[in-house]
Amino acid sequence: MYELTKVDKVFPGVHALKAVDFRIERGEIVGLVGENGAGKSTLMKVIYGAYQADGGTVAIDGKPVRFQSPRQAMDHGIGMVFQEQSLITNLTVMENIFLGYERQFVRFGVIDWTAMARAARQQLAKVKLDIDPATVTAKLSFAQRQLVELAKVLTLEERVEGDLVILLDEPTSVLSRTEVELLFSLVRELTSRASFIFVSHRMDEVLELSDRVYVMKDGEVVDMVPRAEARVDAIQRKMVGRDIDKQYYREQKQQPYDPDRVLVSLDRVSLPGRYSDISLDLHAGEVLCLVGTEGAGREAILRTVFGLEKPDSGTVRIKGQARRDFGARAAVEAGVGYVPRERKIEGIVGGMNVYENMTLSQMGRYSTAGILHLGKERALARDWIRRLGIKTPDVFKDCGGLSGGNQQKVVLAKWRSGGSDIILLDHPTRGLDIGAKEDVYDMVREMCADGAGILLVADTLEEAIGLSHTILVLKDGEARHLFRGAPGSKPSLFDLVHHMT
Amino acid sequence: MTLHQLKPHFPWITLLALVAVVGVAHPNFLLPANLISMVADIMPLFIMALGMTFAIYIGGIDLSSQSVANMTTVLATIALPGLGLGAALVCILAGLTMGAVSGFVTTRLLVPSFVSTLAVGGIAYSVAQYLSGQRALYMDVTLRDASFGWMIGSSFGIPHEIVVGAALLALTWFLQSRTVFGRALKAVGAGEPAAAASGLPVRRIKVLAFALSGMLAAIAGLLFSAKLSGGSPTLANGFLLPAIVAVLVGGTPLTGGVGGVINTLIGTLIVAVIRSSMLYFEVDATMQQMVFGIILIVAIAATIDRSKMRIVK
Repeated sequence: MYELTKVDKVFPGVHALKAVDFRIERGEIVGLVGENGAGKSTLMKVIYGAYQADGGTVAIDGKPVRFQSPRQAMDHGIGMVFQEQSLITNLTVMENIFLGYERQFVRFGVIDWTAMARAARQQLAKVKLDIDPATVTAKLSFAQRQLVELAKVLTLEERVEGDLVILLDEPTSVLSRTEVELLFSLVRELTSRASFIFVSHRMDEVLELSDRVYVMKDGEVVDMVPRAEARVDAIQRKMVGRDIDKQYYREQKQQPYDPDRVLVSLDRVSLPGRYSDISLDLHAGEVLCLVGTEGAGREAILRTVFGLEKPDSGTVRIKGQARRDFGARAAVEAGVGYVPRERKIEGIVGGMNVYENMTLSQMGRYSTAGILHLGKERALARDWIRRLGIKTPDVFKDCGGLSGGNQQKVVLAKWRSGGSDIILLDHPTRGLDIGAKEDVYDMVREMCADGAGILLVADTLEEAIGLSHTILVLKDGEARHLFRGAPGSKPSLFDLVHHMT
Repeated sequence: MTLHQLKPHFPWITLLALVAVVGVAHPNFLLPANLISMVADIMPLFIMALGMTFAIYIGGIDLSSQSVANMTTVLATIALPGLGLGAALVCILAGLTMGAVSGFVTTRLLVPSFVSTLAVGGIAYSVAQYLSGQRALYMDVTLRDASFGWMIGSSFGIPHEIVVGAALLALTWFLQSRTVFGRALKAVGAGEPAAAASGLPVRRIKVLAFALSGMLAAIAGLLFSAKLSGGSPTLANGFLLPAIVAVLVGGTPLTGGVGGVINTLIGTLIVAVIRSSMLYFEVDATMQQMVFGIILIVAIAATIDRSKMRIVK
């Protein structure tokens, strides 16, 4: 009934969806899986009208449609239950359910709350939630909120002619096992009224619930398996589906690290809700990569090492020194440098030029009694522009106007020129083109050769395998497996995905 | 040259255009003596605007400046007989403290600066009322001349207010452009998350910026009080709006990170020309704040970087 044919979506520099075919029948539950960045979210956004496809057709019951906004999609019966809860917590349950559609309850210019409560109770009954519709949403548990979101989407039943398609984006991520089972039985019951698209990182849950599973990789649908034939292993293999180009990451150039010099050591560190009981050692010359799905705790661990997040328990040691005062300043003084994912927000200061950015973390070294030595700063910047091949007309160029790759080089130069030898890289190649990526890889190897230790959250699994000596696989904030691999005996993509999902 | 490239040059072009318009209509306006006295008259406002520049440069605002200046006029008048030149030190420290309190409330208690400075301004105003007994106080002219005479005299035809203003401009320019503190201010204004991730003590920098703003507001009050030879809790009323206008029209937007004290000089001169042109064009003095209110709205709408503000409330 709902069908996408050869749908394309292109963003500057990224071909996010490539000729995607996708269909869902009345009363069906369809699973959608893929690695981070495989195109799942983009596909969902096209389906519920947040993005418009650049090519291909979208059709309902054979009739082509084009949605300019989620509201238009809703008018055609397509609703989204958001992963990040979209309820407004200081409104009541019924206000949330009918947000934007209050007009039906207006009598003589004011809202008839009794009528709204009655209608809301009817919606809540659909999801078997027995709560007072006048409850303030903030008082509900996460599982209850998830059901309210579903009830909100189910109001489409009364508003729309025809059938519903409901998207569930990671609906189980905050639920306990019993709550998940309740949700699943409810979804199965509701298939008499609606079809569901179920997106999740948890492979077992996807197979448990879905009639069919679409597997995405690099913006394409690489396979569609009916449940009868679905096996977790086979799907995980499809999700990664390629061998690494060893040449590309120049694995042969990788040097062994120094096992006697520990730079960072985490001992049973926990931060509730983010990660728990994490222990690891980062050595001089080592690249240690944290691997896991979005929200598995990778970034939180990086931010803890940098002092931006304070763990509840456990010890963080930097060069043997147990950290007591958290805060970026102490970390920088201890030689830690952080290359954040949000390069334009936390990496460079747009509006400041190349040398101003490079000395930002080390102005003490380029000043006497608080007065800056501009000449020295500029000399440093010229030196690093040459060493890293940064493409900029001069040292006075506003960093906000440089390309992504060159911005990244400026950030790396900031830390390296200051002598930082513990480098935290969060998606260092995100959004960079191939050439710029290779430059970043070269810099990673050079830093290791200089005796720096690198804690990496890679953009892709290939990158993780290609660059690192050690890989720690995380799932739901817990360490699942530690792979040590010299060039030639590294874990495969499948090994990683197997422990991740 | 595109409009975007032209934008940084708007302030001085505006200034020249205004001077030309007023000068053509009233050639007397361009007499050197007239221009010099116009600039001398605007100096207390300029000094206050210099301080305001630092608050706005980091993306905040200081609504306490006028009240801090009011308080200083009272403090200076009361302290003069006992302390002489030491009264100046009392004033400066008082302003510094008020600003630091605003900064502390903003960075530690996370109260937005437009509220924290408004509240601190209320405190300063009330201190002035209490100390003065709500009356206008007068300085003994001999005492004033002995301690503060150097601020308001004139040498080689140049009033000393201008010298004081120029010295403060040079000092703040140096601070802004040549010191670690100035660089840190810029980083906080242009990209606070990146500044924090580079290990800068962001909170301390912000507190210092507000302290500096308070201190310069106090110096403005001190100069004003010496000039008028007295103090009262309402003496500097009417300064706040033009001071903010001077900073924004000069090209330091509310979102911070660009502009600086030189821009504020140009902005202040624009305010001065507008103010005196109202005399020439016989606009009633009571309408001044109306005009500045309108200019403020236009200036903010024209200069603000909307990419930095997703939600406006």
